[in-house]
Amino acid sequence: MEAIVQEVVKPEDLKKFEQRFNEQCLRGQPSATAQFEYAWCLVRSQSPSDLRKGTLLLQELFHKTADETAKRDYLFYLAVGHTRLKEYEKALKYAKAIQQVEPGNHQAREMTAYIEKKMKKEGLIGMAIVGGAAAVAFGALAGLGVALAKK
Amino acid sequence: MAAGPYNYSYIFKYIIIGDMGVGKSCLLHQFTEKKFMADCPHTIGVEFGTRIIEVAGQKIKLQIWDTAGQERFRAVTRSYYRGAAGALMVYDITTFIVRSTYNHLSSWLTDARNLTNPNTVIFLIGNKSDLEAQRDVTYEEAKQFADENGLMFLECSAKTGENVEEAFLDTAKKIYQNIQDGSLDLNAAESGVQHKPTTPRNTLSNDQPQSKDGCAC
Ligand SMILES: Nc1nc2c(ncn2[C@@H]2O[C@H](COP(=O)(O)OP(=O)(O)OP(=O)(O)O)[C@@H](O)[C@H]2O)c(=O)[nH]1
Ligand SMILES: [Mg+2]
Repeated sequence: MEAIVQEVVKPEDLKKFEQRFNEQCLRGQPSATAQFEYAWCLVRSQSPSDLRKGTLLLQELFHKTADETAKRDYLFYLAVGHTRLKEYEKALKYAKAIQQVEPGNHQAREMTAYIEKKMKKEGLIGMAIVGGAAAVAFGALAGLGVALAKK
Repeated sequence: MAAGPYNYSYIFKYIIIGDMGVGKSCLLHQFTEKKFMADCPHTIGVEFGTRIIEVAGQKIKLQIWDTAGQERFRAVTRSYYRGAAGALMVYDITTFIVRSTYNHLSSWLTDARNLTNPNTVIFLIGNKSDLEAQRDVTYEEAKQFADENGLMFLECSAKTGENVEEAFLDTAKKIYQNIQDGSLDLNAAESGVQHKPTTPRNTLSNDQPQSKDGCAC
């Protein structure tokens, strides 16, 4: 899952699908396909504003469609985008929602596990550098979990 | 089975392409996990898998991108073709794409040829060979298509595992052979092959498999 979530879009691809999407916008309502293709590129960008934009486009698509398979696909890339933005709570919500549309989807299961691992790892780091009360409490709990698991 | 420091001298990039439902993800899963997924949902975007294999005494890491066949993903998945050393082009022997049109396989092939480099090894896989009773594409006509287009070819079953190893390994052997005879230039951009500089210990004992416990503690 690491390879999928951390993969970075090629700038020329981002540009190509951006152009296609923008042209359609100028002519009127963009097609769902063009919007999805552009959003899929955006959520693989390294720029936080691209990531943000990608998640917004996906949310819009999600609310407009009645197609369950399409919804599943949008949820997956919403999870990718929010993971890359380090908004793990949201990412987790989307990853888990896929399993409601399609129980037993292995990509959703692996995504959920990946996000949970990230949360645990960065929760520990949070304790060391942030020092906020919530971070400490969470970090301590996570630390305890690790200590117990090692026994 | 600790995740020790892997030791391999090459990385080959593969892609798996073909219509939705032909069994691409099941082939990948069978190759990496040696298991069959009976109820496999349509892939979202792309899936990824790796496995280390051995060709002519060299350890090679395969990095495999399995693309979704659904139309929605088609345009973006094309960007994953770039820099593939091997392309596995899969069809389902129980659906008549080869005979009815030639178009489907031809269009996958055209895409693969246009978007990869001239040395990319393209392997045609006729999957679901376990469903002999429902066969709709004969071995001979597919073989002819493969020969006419210079493709390697096997019929496989992701379910029983028949010929799955062979397809992935034969592709790697062919790529390795292309490296050896100089037709694949490793320095060329997007050759799909990365050469890992071997560790000094490795160069000293080139033919010896590196011992895991042989550290100088
Ligand atoms: N009998 C039999 N069924 C298979 C075989 N390979 C795959 N299947 C079944 O065919 C269906 C589709 O397989 P997938 O691997 O998901 O197909 P895919 O090519 O990845 O499809 P997309 O991800 O939509 O492009 C699944 O229900 C599998 O269980 C096989 O060798 N034999
Ligand atoms: Mg698939």
